[in-house]
Amino acid sequence: MTKSELFPKMSEAIVAGDREAAAALAGDAVRGGLDLLDVIERGYVPGMQKVGELWEQGEYFLPELISSAEAMKAAMAVIDPELQKRHLGSRMSGRVVIGTVEGDIHDIGKNLVASMLQAGGFEVHDLGADVKLERFIDKAEEVGAGMICLSALLTTTMTNQRRLIGMLDDRGLRAKYKVLVGGAPASRKWAEEIGADGYAENAVAAVKLAKDLAAAK
Amino acid sequence: MTHPLLELARTRTVLFDGAMGTMLMARGLPVGMAPEIWNVERPDAVREVHAAYFAAGADVVSTNSFGGTPLKLAAHGLEGQAYELNHAAARLAREAAPAGRFVAGSIGPTGKFLKPQGPCSEQDLEAAFADQVRGLAAGGADVLIVETQYDLREALAAVRGARSVSRLPVFVTMTFNLKPRGFFTLMGDTPARAAAALEQAGAAAFGANCTLASDQMAACIRACREATGLALIAQANAGQPVIQADGRVTYSQTLQDYVRYIPDIVRAGASFVGGCCGTDPSFIRAMAGIVGKETP
Repeated sequence: MTKSELFPKMSEAIVAGDREAAAALAGDAVRGGLDLLDVIERGYVPGMQKVGELWEQGEYFLPELISSAEAMKAAMAVIDPELQKRHLGSRMSGRVVIGTVEGDIHDIGKNLVASMLQAGGFEVHDLGADVKLERFIDKAEEVGAGMICLSALLTTTMTNQRRLIGMLDDRGLRAKYKVLVGGAPASRKWAEEIGADGYAENAVAAVKLAKDLAAAK
Repeated sequence: MTHPLLELARTRTVLFDGAMGTMLMARGLPVGMAPEIWNVERPDAVREVHAAYFAAGADVVSTNSFGGTPLKLAAHGLEGQAYELNHAAARLAREAAPAGRFVAGSIGPTGKFLKPQGPCSEQDLEAAFADQVRGLAAGGADVLIVETQYDLREALAAVRGARSVSRLPVFVTMTFNLKPRGFFTLMGDTPARAAAALEQAGAAAFGANCTLASDQMAACIRACREATGLALIAQANAGQPVIQADGRVTYSQTLQDYVRYIPDIVRAGASFVGGCCGTDPSFIRAMAGIVGKETP
């Protein structure tokens, strides 16, 4: 298959959330010796963009978003090792540490954001739910992350988002990390108030925001 | 044979209670602790909240068991105490209930996704809900209320799980967001689709709670009314939470803003009204005065 045949099929596989097709097409691209960075940017990424648009228009919901992210990851699982073999480096957008703050066991939104960030090309270190604030910082230091994403569903735990920023200040590490906050009670105003670098209302917006911040660095 | 609570709803608007978690926190429940543990450790505090809602005019209170499925309790290592905690939840509300008032056994989401999005089978969820319902029924609940559901498949599993172990009527509320094309759950279910499927599954009443503020609720209830003949339940949030400079949490709708829309909600077809996040006994007291006037 030529690129002009392959690329629309790749995008369609992502929009349809078809893991098998997404991975099989990635295999075709590898065997055909195609420029794999081109394959990602012009084949798969437009699919994820379309999925984001469908979500924003209220046509797609959480199940579709998860399926598409899984399809994206299946394609990348085929392409990434090949990129490394060819010493083309990584398509990685950045390293992210993500989790739900301590005292809060809710992880549905956080899981979705983690999955979408991974599909968006980020290396994601997901610490889970009810995560001690020190662990976010320790993990970010350990893996050399550029971004820390904090989720909270409860009004009583979202104050931990503020506390984490204070802890970064205390350890003289604030400038090293972009801190993104999300969760039902959070808002843009809240993010500004506590000095976070950004707030996203949903997983699609979170990927956009993370990419913008990573590019601005 | 119809249930006395459904009978009552035919004669007048029936009033539910408001928020529970924040009321317990105001009494010292630590952040991060499962509220259900207070059913055995601080029963006085839980009873006091129920009593405050009854005193404000609530006909029905919901038990302190929103996170009481073993699947949810497992996040706190409490899955082995599911029966005991749910039994106590129902018993405390029963003890606080004056004669002629009702206790609804609260059943929230498991927090787990069904396959393929998550790890659980429908049987896993049914079993978890059945475990919770055994405790609630034995503790003296009059009805069950499956609340804040965002996945129709999970709500249906809850109805099936409840009916497998109990004959109590099952009320179901789902949480809808207002999207460009109308009201949808997180998983993409519409009020019409959910109402029809749940009626078919044997739910005794259907409705919407949480997320929507009171000014958005009437439109959602109208969408439900078009799809089902079931009695409808409306429990709106008091808008969105706002954290004040001093750390206090307030909600964007004041009591006056909130209750202004209650007559619309009743006219849209809700026969059960109550509060959700951001509401307290003062809201229920104000609503009691209004629904009294709104009764056909």
